[in-house]
Amino acid sequence: MKRIFQHPPEPSTGRRYWRGLEELAETPEFKSWLEREFPEGAADLETDGVSRRNFMRLMGASLALAGVGLSGCRRPETYIVPYTKSVEWLIPGKAVLYTTSMPRRLGGMPLVATTFEGRPTKLEGNPLVPGYNGGTDLLAQASILNLYDPDRARFFRENGKESAADKFEAYLKQLRNELQQNGGAGFAFLLDEQWSPTRDRILKKFQQDFPQARFYYGDPLGNDEINPVTEALFGADVILRPNFANADVILSLDADFLGLEQTLDNIKAFSARRRVRGSTETVNRLYSVDNRFTITSGMADHRLRCPASHIPSFAVALANKIAAATGDQGLTSLAGQFKTTVTFDEKWVTECANDLVARKGKSLLLLGNRYPAPIQALVYAINNALEAFGSTIQVLTAPKIKGGTIQDLAKDVKAGTVKRLFILAGNPAYTAPADLQWAEQIQKQIPEVVQLGYWENETSTNVRWFVPEAHFLEAWGDQRDPNGTYLPIQPMILPLFGGWSQLDLLSKLAGIPGGLEAVRETFKTLAGSGDFEEAWTALLRHGYIADTAYQASSAKPNLSGLSGLVPAATSLPAPVSSPFEIVFPGDYRVEDGRYTNNAWLQEMPDPITKLTWDNAVQVSPVTAKALGLEERDLIEITAGDRKLTAAVLIAPGHADNSFTLPLGYGRDRVGRVGEGAGFDAYKLRTTAALYFATGVTIKLLQKDAYKLIRTQLHHSMEGRALVREGSLEDYEQNPAFAKKMWMDAEIPPNISLYSHPPLSAPNQWAMVVDLNTCIGCSACVIACQAENNIPVVGKDQVERGREMQWMRIDRYFSSADGDVSNPHLDEEPEMVVEPMMCQHCENAPCETVCPVNATVHSEEGLNVMVYNRCIGTRYCSNNCPFKVRRFNFFNYNDRSVLDKIEHGLPGFEGKQTLILGPLAKWGMDEISKLQKNPNVTVRSRGVMEKCTYCVQRIETAKISQKIKAGVTGDLSLPTDSVRSACQEVCPAEAIVFGDMKDPQSQVSKERELPQDYHLLEYLNIRTRTSYLARLRNPNSKMPGAAKIGKINAEHGDEERERTQTSVPTGGNA
Amino acid sequence: MAETQVSAPKMVPFVERMPRPPLVENNRSMAWITDLIAGVPESKTPLWWFIAIGITGSIAAFGVFCIFYLLFTGVGVWGNNIPIGWAFGITNFVFWIGIGHAGTLISAILLLTRQKWRTAVNRSAEAMTLFAVMCAAIFPGIHVGRIWMAWFLAPVPVPNWIWPNFRSPLMWDVFAVSTYFTVSVLFWFLGLVPDLATLRDRAKSQVGKVVYGILALGWRGGNRQWRHYEMAYLILAGISTPLVLSVHSTVSFDFATSILPGWHTTIFPPYFVAGAIFGGFAMVLTLLIPARSIYKLHDVITWNHIDVMCKIILLTGSIVGYAYTMEFFVAYYGANPFERFAFINRYFGPYWWASWSMFTCNVIMPQLFWVRAFRRNIITVLFVSMCVNAGMWFERFVIFVISLTRDFLPSSWGMYYPTWVDIWTFVGTIGIFVTLFLLFIRFLPMVAISEVRSVLPEADPHHVPPEPPHTGTAVEDVGEAHA
Repeated sequence: MKRIFQHPPEPSTGRRYWRGLEELAETPEFKSWLEREFPEGAADLETDGVSRRNFMRLMGASLALAGVGLSGCRRPETYIVPYTKSVEWLIPGKAVLYTTSMPRRLGGMPLVATTFEGRPTKLEGNPLVPGYNGGTDLLAQASILNLYDPDRARFFRENGKESAADKFEAYLKQLRNELQQNGGAGFAFLLDEQWSPTRDRILKKFQQDFPQARFYYGDPLGNDEINPVTEALFGADVILRPNFANADVILSLDADFLGLEQTLDNIKAFSARRRVRGSTETVNRLYSVDNRFTITSGMADHRLRCPASHIPSFAVALANKIAAATGDQGLTSLAGQFKTTVTFDEKWVTECANDLVARKGKSLLLLGNRYPAPIQALVYAINNALEAFGSTIQVLTAPKIKGGTIQDLAKDVKAGTVKRLFILAGNPAYTAPADLQWAEQIQKQIPEVVQLGYWENETSTNVRWFVPEAHFLEAWGDQRDPNGTYLPIQPMILPLFGGWSQLDLLSKLAGIPGGLEAVRETFKTLAGSGDFEEAWTALLRHGYIADTAYQASSAKPNLSGLSGLVPAATSLPAPVSSPFEIVFPGDYRVEDGRYTNNAWLQEMPDPITKLTWDNAVQVSPVTAKALGLEERDLIEITAGDRKLTAAVLIAPGHADNSFTLPLGYGRDRVGRVGEGAGFDAYKLRTTAALYFATGVTIKLLQKDAYKLIRTQLHHSMEGRALVREGSLEDYEQNPAFAKKMWMDAEIPPNISLYSHPPLSAPNQWAMVVDLNTCIGCSACVIACQAENNIPVVGKDQVERGREMQWMRIDRYFSSADGDVSNPHLDEEPEMVVEPMMCQHCENAPCETVCPVNATVHSEEGLNVMVYNRCIGTRYCSNNCPFKVRRFNFFNYNDRSVLDKIEHGLPGFEGKQTLILGPLAKWGMDEISKLQKNPNVTVRSRGVMEKCTYCVQRIETAKISQKIKAGVTGDLSLPTDSVRSACQEVCPAEAIVFGDMKDPQSQVSKERELPQDYHLLEYLNIRTRTSYLARLRNPNSKMPGAAKIGKINAEHGDEERERTQTSVPTGGNA
Repeated sequence: MAETQVSAPKMVPFVERMPRPPLVENNRSMAWITDLIAGVPESKTPLWWFIAIGITGSIAAFGVFCIFYLLFTGVGVWGNNIPIGWAFGITNFVFWIGIGHAGTLISAILLLTRQKWRTAVNRSAEAMTLFAVMCAAIFPGIHVGRIWMAWFLAPVPVPNWIWPNFRSPLMWDVFAVSTYFTVSVLFWFLGLVPDLATLRDRAKSQVGKVVYGILALGWRGGNRQWRHYEMAYLILAGISTPLVLSVHSTVSFDFATSILPGWHTTIFPPYFVAGAIFGGFAMVLTLLIPARSIYKLHDVITWNHIDVMCKIILLTGSIVGYAYTMEFFVAYYGANPFERFAFINRYFGPYWWASWSMFTCNVIMPQLFWVRAFRRNIITVLFVSMCVNAGMWFERFVIFVISLTRDFLPSSWGMYYPTWVDIWTFVGTIGIFVTLFLLFIRFLPMVAISEVRSVLPEADPHHVPPEPPHTGTAVEDVGEAHA
């Protein structure tokens, strides 16, 4: 286990000291002595099987437990180990940061991992990598919890029985010999889509060595439908990327490019074009056509509700308009190959097409990546007519390993050409189209299956070998980001359960050095001509290597290639009424099911539906009413000969006659977290209906039979002007339109009888949230949870309204509270989101009412919560107008609320819960403790908690500044030197935190913007967090344009009057 | 011509003082009263008492189990959540504190205003006050998250110099309730001293002699002792009188000083005090009517007493009804959309049934007492007082919980559903309350003997007996009177 680390060469300035004459002479003996790192006593550690990192890990956890994390708790269990020997560059208690990256479908995500005493606790984006601002996303934030998942696979298994790594290695060696003899015949890999140059290099070598081996991709949310189109259009090894910086008008046809199909640089580029700082000229316009609200369509200026099966017809209708307007012959003929009977709002299509054509070369059309290839071809043809290639769509040369789809694999298995399958990623027994009958037939037909898996899952049942997979924070690797920039994957910790990475397995199978050596080998081709070690150190230090992005391809679109993909006279789905259609998108939280066992994600409210711990069939209020469905009803969905029972969720803004059931739930074999959560949409998903199925019938089974838990019960703003928005026209007429809305129009002058203590510290913290760029992705919610040791409470507790997340994303629909009987129900509601956390009121209502002074104001303007002083009267929460305080109703950290007895009581319906409390098992899993941030207290039962503006980050910044400055008293921090966790994660840069006393800080500048407003100003609470009003950019020629940007005028005649007198009405009103 | 003349001042004729109805009926003698009241603790314990205390004691014990379950496990065993930080706990606290108002009102304010009818009911009303305040005191203690740190509420000097927050109404509450309880205990016990001495003197068992002897504090009934006693009693009454008004006003500040729509109301102090007296009298009637029948106290606690208390219920009930309506009007007139919404939501939102139950029980039902016949009918009096008891509980639920369910941001609106622990903790305190009351009527004189004797006509030195004083034993007479 000994590792030789390449220390960065120290600059040789000043006097030189040496440890002995041997060092001066640089004798080999001395060098090897140095390499042992902890020269004395290191041998003791290495002989008894405890690796240095393992030792560090245990020691770090003990230290965190004993000294830092839990010092306020009772009964500290301490195992004190003197912390005299440490990993390189480590100062105990201080974080060490390493660059790394996370493999993702569309390219790696550059990251910086924070580690404390050898254990990674938090991931941030790498701000050095161009195209990013240090943002990350939901899944990257939550992936740190996967590392410490107690349910992850721990053992090598042969035929289900526990085995060992060396036995598997022996098997691989034997296998290699066999492959060398037969050239890889009958051998196949099932892969995931990722962009690792080292993996590609090894696979290429594999292809050369064993030419008969086959590759297949098995990602249910992958780009199987796009790849053939790209190839037909531009040839092999080309990828197409939207370029939002150039796009003035965007039409998204169910393309969730800010949600499921996002890349961070796309979000950043898109939101840069939404941001308004004075001039409104750069603001783009987004049209969206989809069957349900997505993160993307929530940002749309115009949205058309449209069943998913109508989207192809919409593309044809649009193609006809655009072909007519541009005179593009190729497009005309291609569109003519489709036959459709679906019609659309003529004006909508025409005006939208006109807008796209008017900005030819600056417009962009996007289609969801899972629509069938012929429609993809048509959409690219439209983009070609709009002259998008090279402008709003980048054409990049990106070599990739070609492989078949999972359907091809199934065909080959049935044909008997696959004898041995290595499943390197994915869970085909769960995700493969249902008609393939993977688990029942295909997998059983393969003589030998080897699975590399992070969890033992549905696929692990019939495998010869199961290999536990290493987390990406446990192994070496590399990635290209979506633009092609080369990123390293550095391990932060040795594999906790001895897992292997894909590279480990592949390199061992290929018989070449793996891990670090393999990556260094790949890097040699990219390192340039200089000193390799220097380049390598720079790569690890910066987390990327410059000028490695993909080159723009010179290939010109070859439209004639497309017509081959579209069969002549392709008939498109007929208009749906009853029977209905059902759509299977990925889930924002668990994606295709790979994050089902992640408790943070499970407990996070879905960004749109606010549902936790489940998925559900979403249906529009109108269709639900027609079918007599209500929320929590159980229905039976029949698609062809497949049936599924699932619960109903009423989703305002959903297309009528259409149902949506996200994938990824209802798993059969999953850890404790994902067990029993939701319904398995894969059961209905067949090869013929990979994204949506038509001809679906619905039968009501049982009323009010399934508990669906939403964190937000009410969806209408009740006319309260909490989220304030206007159109660009409103803004141009009066940039400060948001300041005097609703009750704020008539705030009387306030005379205080009470003299407030002065807020006199040199730094005055404040936050601004730009509602115009916030997309509501909820990454900040998880970032906050990871940073602040926020516990997960479970479905029962969320049902009781006791979720602990310090941040939430409020989501409102205009005039729609989901109540089907509401006569004011708007079938075409607008959706707005608003991140909500402690507003740090200067005149805080929570502070005056606390009887024990547990919540007080700091001189820096923070509303401080003193956990040790809190006795838990909950008065502060009652008096908080934003209800952002969270209470530890149980000892969520140390006593599982899942330990309970269900019992019957006379006079009560159903079973009542007796939570065991003191009789339950004490303490957290050892492995779960490792994730905790040592700078944040783990709160005990009975105390209130809330957003602190990441006070630990403020204090860390102050300490380091004081060390630099050598002062002890107050000092002012450099401009923008503290970033809160939510600010840091935000890919749209919607959250800005900083010192409002510093006129140079970004937060002071944003607070000065005319569209800045404070919530509930009427209450004279003087919040430190403020919001920038949302601005919409409607096209006045579109139908319904007058309604866009008017959510504040939505409720009640009286309220409308009030609002309209105070809002400068634009031309549309 | 008539206009020009100034009419001569009319002579106000001497109005003959109307004969007041006697406070003790059937011309009972002093000895008869002593025998009747002191006879209860002296007689053998009846079977029904054992059965009754067995039931209430079990309920109380289960309530105590629920409390310990809560303390060991966490406040989460209740249905509270965010946004509903306070639910059954504080509702029950204010409910019981409110009931505790009648006793002190009867003993202190009615003493100062020389309402002599108070003597028949003040002892048991005061006992009821104490027990209600005890039940009330349970809730603020157990509802906090960390009861083992509750001493932070006490202004004790500690090395870290942190004091309680005197700006917090909860702090005021702590002082108000503890002061009220202390004064109520002193007042009640002081009143008991002469009667305890009576029991001591009459006690036949050795235990009784010792226990009552210790409790009687050496009372001999001497002139000097009476002089000091009455002065002390008067002073305590003087101290208690503002407390009756201040305690519930202070409790109402918990809500009135907050910014929550539905809580933030200046009308609360008088409205809460009226409601407390209203609820307290209903509870006095609820307890005394059965006790009066069981122990045949009809001559001491007469229909006139019940009638007077019904009138107080009618008065305070109407004040409460006015407050409900005025709140609604102010919400409309104030034009604050949050306030308006809170009140519309109160009566037409998801908890409409609680508000309408409250309105019916507290405002509509007491109107029956305009009719004399209803004030003098056991069934209607008991029925209305039960309605008021329930209605006053609903009032607190409506004000505290419904206001919390829907406040400023619709995104954080929530619903509250009680758990079995919530319900059984409340039922348990009813068990504790009734158990304590059963113990009280068993071992202590439930009517103030000396005070009732002092309002008999013969206690007046100028009294001329109209007929020879009644003779015979109490037991026989009671039998005769109600045969």
